[in-house]
Amino acid sequence: MTHRDFWHNSKIGVMGAGSWGLVLAHLASHNCREVRVWLRSEEQARSINATRAHPRAMAGLQLSEKVRAYSSMERFFEGGLDAVVWALPSSACREQAQAVAHRLTGEELIIHATKGVEPGTLRRISEVLGDELPTRRLGIISGPNLASEIAKGEPAATVIASSFSEVCDAGEVLFSSDRFRIYRETDVIGVEWAGVLKNILAIGVGALDALGFGWNSRAMLITLGLSEMLRFGVAMGGLQSTFLSLAGVGDLMATCSPLSRNYTVGLRVARGEPLETVLAELGHVAEGVKTTQSVWEFALENGIEMPMTRGVYRLLSGEASVPEIVHDLMTR
Amino acid sequence: MTEHKDKPQGTFSRVISKKKSDFRLRLQKVPIVPGPLFRLEEIREALLDRVAEKTRDGFSEFDLETLLGEALYAERLRLKAQKTNLFTSFRYKKDQKLWNQVHQGLLRPGGEVDLQDLLKSVIQHFAEEIGGHFHPKVYEFATHAVPWGFSWLLNAASVKRFLPWGMTESLQSRLHILGEVSTLQKLSKKGTILLVPTHQSNIDSVLVGYVIYLLSLPPFSYGAGLNLFSNPVLSFLMSRLGSYRVDRQKNNDIYRATLKNYSTQILREGMHSIFFPGGGRSRSGAIESRVKLGLLGTALEAQIEGIRTQQPCPNVYIIPMVTSYHFVLEASSLIESHLSDVGKHKYIGIRDESWQITQIFGFFWKLFSSQSGILIRIGKPMDVFGNPVDEEGRSMGPNDTVIDVSRWLTTRGKLTHEPQRDREYTRELGVRLVDRFHRENTVLTSHWVAFVLFEVLRKKYPDFDLFRFLRLSLPQRSLPLSDFLIAAERSHQKLIQLASEGRLFLSEELSFSTEKWVRDGVKQLGLLHDIAVVKISEDAIWTEDMNLLYYYRNRLSGYGLSLDEGKRNLMMMGQYDSQGFLA
Repeated sequence: MTHRDFWHNSKIGVMGAGSWGLVLAHLASHNCREVRVWLRSEEQARSINATRAHPRAMAGLQLSEKVRAYSSMERFFEGGLDAVVWALPSSACREQAQAVAHRLTGEELIIHATKGVEPGTLRRISEVLGDELPTRRLGIISGPNLASEIAKGEPAATVIASSFSEVCDAGEVLFSSDRFRIYRETDVIGVEWAGVLKNILAIGVGALDALGFGWNSRAMLITLGLSEMLRFGVAMGGLQSTFLSLAGVGDLMATCSPLSRNYTVGLRVARGEPLETVLAELGHVAEGVKTTQSVWEFALENGIEMPMTRGVYRLLSGEASVPEIVHDLMTR
Repeated sequence: MTEHKDKPQGTFSRVISKKKSDFRLRLQKVPIVPGPLFRLEEIREALLDRVAEKTRDGFSEFDLETLLGEALYAERLRLKAQKTNLFTSFRYKKDQKLWNQVHQGLLRPGGEVDLQDLLKSVIQHFAEEIGGHFHPKVYEFATHAVPWGFSWLLNAASVKRFLPWGMTESLQSRLHILGEVSTLQKLSKKGTILLVPTHQSNIDSVLVGYVIYLLSLPPFSYGAGLNLFSNPVLSFLMSRLGSYRVDRQKNNDIYRATLKNYSTQILREGMHSIFFPGGGRSRSGAIESRVKLGLLGTALEAQIEGIRTQQPCPNVYIIPMVTSYHFVLEASSLIESHLSDVGKHKYIGIRDESWQITQIFGFFWKLFSSQSGILIRIGKPMDVFGNPVDEEGRSMGPNDTVIDVSRWLTTRGKLTHEPQRDREYTRELGVRLVDRFHRENTVLTSHWVAFVLFEVLRKKYPDFDLFRFLRLSLPQRSLPLSDFLIAAERSHQKLIQLASEGRLFLSEELSFSTEKWVRDGVKQLGLLHDIAVVKISEDAIWTEDMNLLYYYRNRLSGYGLSLDEGKRNLMMMGQYDSQGFLA
């Protein structure tokens, strides 16, 4: 049996029914036998199964019959899964991993879709999952993937990174379509950090746009921000080339757009709205907010120069306004 | 110690009994523990056939002409450079004959030569050379001779030899075997052990064999350098003790594959093995920060084959072992070699004194006559993926999960050998093994004195790179004793912190008062070498050999102790700092 045959006949589980989790379930449903989605709320699970949709998470997305939602963890894992797609927020990662550890056999492959790090410890999601789950075959899916555009079927591409080529094989078969292209990568560290750090920069770009500056300022911030991402990522063990790929500069460009949650947070906070209000109204998780503090503290302690991250940190903590931060950046 | 010594188990307690009469008793009644290696002669032929078959299968997709051509080229170069003696000329001639045949075969037109046959003869030649023998009588003799030698030397050299009868010295006071002793003994009955020691000195080989004997374990197979077989006595003994020959000079794919398959097959047969994963002695004095994955990976292959062929005990357990010496016989030549390597200087060879009988005798004499000791820690066992293993032989995962090894080896529903997956598993095993080596390291007073002195001196010359620093003049490498003691006291806290985090162990002496452990460390460091590594007077402390001081200091590298708090987060084991010092 070729790996394509195997994965076309496989059972996949998606943990988390946020917008990206649902879109991944939708993509996989075209390429495998069965897709299960786990979410906490029994009521929402019932609603997804009845209506084949979850408008609160992803408006307009119509799920296929192959997708079934479960709120019971036992039923979700019943009979075993061939692959698990981990699409939960970073803050819930460790706790949830501890809860499901004893349900895994070690045979299933894990692909996570969380662009965040554990607050405080700065452990990457694949490290947290490795700490808590009895499996080694882990990978990450990351790239310029605004869920709503992919749900509409607009052409896009992503990166699957894993040190195990069978994980990349699985990702390639499960998620690819004539509108969605997969690129393989082995630099897990680089891809994960690129996905984390661009969120911080997206907040910064949103904040800058709030002041109504033109393209020059934007280009300056993004370019200098990219070199900042690269500096940090390489210090953490990532490869420079990864930051110049789809998972790095590609993701950064897509995230610095009004469709991004992190961009929206930056924009609204810079306009004077309290951070708590913005986050409450957003309805989705903006990973960059939690990440900024941890990354900035680590950079400070380890002597990694990150002026943009510092600026975003000062904005979110209410230490300084955007004009003050811009002034500091231009005169440092 | 920060950890209680494990109670000696079973026959061990008898072996290291304090009474002289017990040693005599032991010489008459050595408990030989039979094990799978006793079957080696019986199955040898079939085992070598299987090695040859697996090796041939591994090359089924290869262009044989290129493969053989490359091997021929590499072997011709090796043979050209090889010096032979009375005992090695026979092997040399056999090699010459084989490669002449290969040469002639490759010169013939394609249709006239069967490349498969040519490959088969090369593999069989290598397999026969690698394959060991095991003769129980020789094993019995060796297990008598080594302990007898140790006991005699100990009692002859010991300063306590003039004490009344019944108070004579015991080996127990000199060889401290700590850690997971009982787990190792239990696991040796539940699966196959791959013992992976750190490697500092050629003494290690003797010591590891002796430890196996002391722990009442059955005999282990081990890979021994082909150069050792040029000594007729060693060759006679080793070729009958289950050791297999490893020729590091043979640099071709066919040889490497045959060697790996031999290692896999003996593990699959349940024969416990020893393998120094660092690939050779640590040149820098540091604990291994990288391990050779080729032979280590054979554990995983043996595990897969064991499960697939439904062996009764298919599990292979990796047991780290860390030896701590106060002084290392070959320290001078090792550090010289390391420095010339990293410094890219022209290497000025120093005679490697390590295998001269008089030197080894001298080493043990000094060890036994000086109240010094060797500490051996059996580390926490791991499975072939680097997961911890409990006493029952079960692989333990996070959150108290029990790992079903066969599920980890299943890809797309089939339990199979997947080369890329298995390389990655073995790479991770290597990472975890390196971490384990560091955690199982027991810091001795000598290591810590060398480390503190080196680091305090460095602070005096913060702009010097390694090579400039090593050239400090004698007055420059002296410190007021009071300054040193203050620094020693302060930095001692860091060490205690690391020990409390489970990142290393401390020897009992390091719990003494600062002045006492400093004096102990200085004394121990000065025992072996002609030039004092560290000297101490009423009011000063200094080193007479910067290279040796660096060597002994490096034992504490890999923990980031020399770095600022912040930079430690980004440090990886085996890394050098910006000035070229091992961090």
